[in-house]
Amino acid sequence: MRPAEDIEKLIKKLRYKASAGTHEKVLGNVLQAMDERERQKSGVAKPEIWRTIMNSKTRRFATAAVIVIAVIIGLYYLAGPVSVTTSAYAEVAQRLQNARTLLYTVTSTTPVQGMPNMVMEVAFKEPGYMRMTMPGGYVSVMDCIQGKGLSIIPPKKQFIEMQISNLPNDGGRRQFDAIEKLRSLPDRADEVLGERQIDGRTVQGFRVTEEGMTNTVWIDPKTRELVEVEMAFDNAPGMNGRMTDFRFDAELSDDLFSIAPPDGYTRLNLQVDGGEASENDLIEYLRLWSSWTTDGTFPPTLNPAELAKVSMELVKAGKFRPAQPSNGQEDLLKHTMKMTRGMMFVLKLPAESNWRYAGENAKYGDAQTPIFWYQPSGSATSRVIYGDLSVKDVTPENLPK
Amino acid sequence: MVEDRYLVWKFKRGSRDALRAIYQKYADELLSLAGNLLDDKTAAEDVVQDVFVTFVQSIEKFRLTGSLKGYLATCAANRCRDYRRRNNRRQTAAVNQAHRAAPDAESPVQLIIRGEEFEKLSSALSELPYEQRETIVLRLHGDLRFRQIAKLQDVSTKTAQSRYRYGLDKLRSTLNGEVRK
Repeated sequence: MRPAEDIEKLIKKLRYKASAGTHEKVLGNVLQAMDERERQKSGVAKPEIWRTIMNSKTRRFATAAVIVIAVIIGLYYLAGPVSVTTSAYAEVAQRLQNARTLLYTVTSTTPVQGMPNMVMEVAFKEPGYMRMTMPGGYVSVMDCIQGKGLSIIPPKKQFIEMQISNLPNDGGRRQFDAIEKLRSLPDRADEVLGERQIDGRTVQGFRVTEEGMTNTVWIDPKTRELVEVEMAFDNAPGMNGRMTDFRFDAELSDDLFSIAPPDGYTRLNLQVDGGEASENDLIEYLRLWSSWTTDGTFPPTLNPAELAKVSMELVKAGKFRPAQPSNGQEDLLKHTMKMTRGMMFVLKLPAESNWRYAGENAKYGDAQTPIFWYQPSGSATSRVIYGDLSVKDVTPENLPK
Repeated sequence: MVEDRYLVWKFKRGSRDALRAIYQKYADELLSLAGNLLDDKTAAEDVVQDVFVTFVQSIEKFRLTGSLKGYLATCAANRCRDYRRRNNRRQTAAVNQAHRAAPDAESPVQLIIRGEEFEKLSSALSELPYEQRETIVLRLHGDLRFRQIAKLQDVSTKTAQSRYRYGLDKLRSTLNGEVRK
């Protein structure tokens, strides 16, 4: 008789083999189930990842900075032609144009799992002052007449002194694109949406579709008040902003916009490039990222909405090099600024540019692999960035497939 | 084990790569487990898919207290029971013989000899009462402990051990003289 252990060994070898393609198909279905679950969860704040992010003060600031800047970038987009006229709409536009001060709240949402909505109070005062307040006592003040700014980081008792260069020569007003474009927004609506209810008020909607962004403006036709502006980025799905609680011409003390550093706080210096983001900014961002990864790979995505999540995964997977000796916070700020400008460039690319990013798993130095390409407006050729970060002009028939 | 905890941790935080890694690590073993319980490869593939889809859908509440393989094997066993209940029939091993993976062997001749042995063994296994067969398959393909099998079957640990022992005895007597040493 065969010993029991022999039978056991034989039974262990009774194995089934999946049909060809079965695992791929089943795994595809399983991943689809995961996507579905993620979709169902979206919009529901799960504090876990957010807590993880917030546990690191450094990461918290970097993340917050990226989000804040992204929201501001969003406001930058509010530009372009087209006009729709209704009397109520025109009046709202007029009020915006005439306002000496303006207060509103921006609530930003991201598709990052567990990241709660971020609320930022914005105050603007003529001729060129802006103040942004975030939960936790984070305050940023910009004086674009002088080209200076100040950000306060209460938990670390630090403040960032910003010197803004490359400002357009228009007395600093361009730096308030957020406000200037908001002001011009009602004049440029290209679609009338009809009515809906917001907090018991019947409001009329107008949509402004522009390069890389869709804005929806809701006004109260009875009171002629701006009630809400919704912002959505084409190139950052899931990252949205909602502007509410508009107040015009409130008395705002100059002290609110002081850029004098608070007592007892340590200074961090930051040079801010106030000019338009360019292709070179994207290249520098890619170069920076590849210097952080252990294998020299580029970011898996350029979607800023996924940045926090992707970074966390890479950190956990040990894909980032250990931090090098550096100037600490100041280097972090410089890097954040570089990243932001690189992302700004992509965010501002219109759909017609047919931009594509193929840098996931590509490594720095690979001169043969195209990692990003886009067609500049008015150009017959496309710009292609390769893994060695060289750039070539490529005709449509020679573009990567 | 540590790796499984890490994969589950990542998966709970939305990592598709982690889910893919878990699938690739255990899908084949679950397929063999379900295949040996159902004698139906197509049904076994359905069971594997059901197990993973349910795993995905319930990940929020999932807490890894033992082995991940044991958990997935238990899920697969429950799915196989459901499948049998729904279909109320047993399929013959012959239908699926061709789908079984070739056993390891030292030479082509041994492969043929072993192939015959495996067909006989598989057939004998499929003739066992389901409880005995389930006990043997969960023990040998799912690496479950007897107390885990007992809990699944809602019997005592001793009963599970007896089912295992009786099952192996029957296999040995059925195969006695037929299976080559």
